[in-house]
Amino acid sequence: MLSVKNLHARIGDKEILNGINLEVHAGEVHAIMGPNGSGKSTLASVLAGRSDYEVSEGSVEFFGKDLLDLSPEARAAEGLFLAFQYPVEIPGVSTTNFMKSAINEIRAYRGQDAMDAVQFLKMFKEKMAYVNIDQTLLSRALNEGFSGGEKKRNEIFQMAVLEPKLAILDETDSGLDIDALRIVAEGVNKLKTPQNATILVTHYQRLLDYIIPDFVHVLYKGKIVKSGNKDLALELEERGYDWIISALD
Amino acid sequence: MLEKTLVDSIKTIDSLTQAQQLALGKFIDKGFPTSKWEEWKYASLKHLNERDWKWSPEKLSVDFSKPQWKHSAIIQTLNGNTHSEGALPQGIALLPMSEFMAQNPAFDSVWKARNPILDQNSLYDLNEALVNDHAVLWVKKGVKIVEPLLHHYLVSGQQDTAVQSKLFIYLEEDSEITWFEQQRSESSHAILSNYVQEIWVSKNAHLTLIKDQDLQQSITHVDHTFIFQQESSLVDAFTFSINAAYLRNNLHFYIDGPQVVSNLNGLYIPGEDQLMDTHSVVDHRMPHSESNELYKGVLMGNATGVFNGKIFVRPDAQKTNAFQSCKNVLASDRATMNTKPQLEIWADDVKCSHGTTTGQLSDEALFYMRSRGISKATAQTLLLLAFVQQVIDKLEHEEIRAELSDKIVNKIQASLGLTLL
Repeated sequence: MLSVKNLHARIGDKEILNGINLEVHAGEVHAIMGPNGSGKSTLASVLAGRSDYEVSEGSVEFFGKDLLDLSPEARAAEGLFLAFQYPVEIPGVSTTNFMKSAINEIRAYRGQDAMDAVQFLKMFKEKMAYVNIDQTLLSRALNEGFSGGEKKRNEIFQMAVLEPKLAILDETDSGLDIDALRIVAEGVNKLKTPQNATILVTHYQRLLDYIIPDFVHVLYKGKIVKSGNKDLALELEERGYDWIISALD
Repeated sequence: MLEKTLVDSIKTIDSLTQAQQLALGKFIDKGFPTSKWEEWKYASLKHLNERDWKWSPEKLSVDFSKPQWKHSAIIQTLNGNTHSEGALPQGIALLPMSEFMAQNPAFDSVWKARNPILDQNSLYDLNEALVNDHAVLWVKKGVKIVEPLLHHYLVSGQQDTAVQSKLFIYLEEDSEITWFEQQRSESSHAILSNYVQEIWVSKNAHLTLIKDQDLQQSITHVDHTFIFQQESSLVDAFTFSINAAYLRNNLHFYIDGPQVVSNLNGLYIPGEDQLMDTHSVVDHRMPHSESNELYKGVLMGNATGVFNGKIFVRPDAQKTNAFQSCKNVLASDRATMNTKPQLEIWADDVKCSHGTTTGQLSDEALFYMRSRGISKATAQTLLLLAFVQQVIDKLEHEEIRAELSDKIVNKIQASLGLTLL
């Protein structure tokens, strides 16, 4: 579904992505790992359409469409979802109203009828149970005053509601205690189907104890320098990144 | 300075009292405010000095469509003439100032000693010069009216007209009303709508004052509202500045007793070719009182906004709490906002704070919302509406809140070319 070819991106004069190649198919879970500053979060941001980055070379196709040509909202409507490392506080807008707007705009994009209040209520109830999130949290202004765990759980709730074809989780494990991590991971696992795919961007192996990846890629200096299966993550946990880096430099 | 022809035309107005002639002289000397005057720096009315004004507005009669929600009375001020539509609730009277003073002779000297701050305000002089024996709304002692009194203020003219309106509201002890004022216009000509409203709030009285300012693009509207508060009185004021080419609010609170609470809430949303200027004064003259000021602005198109918030805490006003907040969003890169908080504190045992911010919508928030499939336009709308909601939500009256909320949402969406699904 996703085909990234020779992707270069920069912010100002600084080259951050240096020729990424990545193929993701339905049903797969990919983990992108790497030391700090290797470009992991940049890759997630560029795929979601953050305008701070300039793509200088390469291409990204999503179900055959030129992803880089689409606005962030169109990417979401095409089935892409980014769970933020730092979910943004939206004062005065509740999660439920936020999701209603999102759903109905996406439905309009896809030529579907808008959902009504009754349908929303039913759907929200279902998804709330799915990711174990409380109604009171959803009525509050989005992410405003939420704890780290609440913010991440809310991201997973949004993911459950939007049912993306490709979910990119950017450092979803950061700032989570072990219980919160387990709940979030359970949510991600429940949402996994043979039709969708997941990219986990993570610094630590910890998350991968709960979400088992099919592929692990090591990103370094804006390039994927090593790929393997879940055993690679365990090896990284044990040996760190140095052995890969020193083999390159 | 006024053009000579204009001076000549205004001098032809006859049967002015001595006090009116005095005020007229002051106005002629000063003319309309220009940007050289400190208090009118960003809101010059110099161009009015050159217009061929008709000084005596037409008499109007208007079929007023009543609101759906419950109200206790309708009072109309049409081109300066105030009357009530139907009967007023018991304990409320509408009468000329001369009659009111004749019935309250002791109040006359108190009133004359009220001492508002009138620096650089030639429009107040103009109003005083051309208005004789304006209306008084008199709320008797202990009268509490739950349903709002609706005030329909209208200016109109078949040619360029200067309209002077004046109203005095007198709340006796322990009384309580909600005054909902719809300020409107019906003219494609240049109208100067010059409105003076003075309000006396006696001991333990409670006033909710709501101004809905929605006038046409040909209108210059200047609203002077001076509120004098006595011991233990409470005023909740709301100013919603929605439309007019030029809208100036001089909103003054004079705190003349202890345990007074003054709440000033304001929202201005100027769009293309509109200027909205708020000059608030909160004058703490007595101890143990509290004022809270919350203003928000959304500036669109090439709009100009001005906020000048003065707080005085006089030497006698110990134990004063005075707070001021003014937050603005520039929703266009052509819009301008000028803010100036001005605190003068003469007492030493007080709590005062102020904060003004002017910024744009957060790119981070916009990207976050877009990444969920919400279009940029909808995301902007949602964020702006959430921003203004804080002021609207302070309105307790459900129907008025809903009415104003719709109006504000429509204005913002129309000005920015946004729609919400």
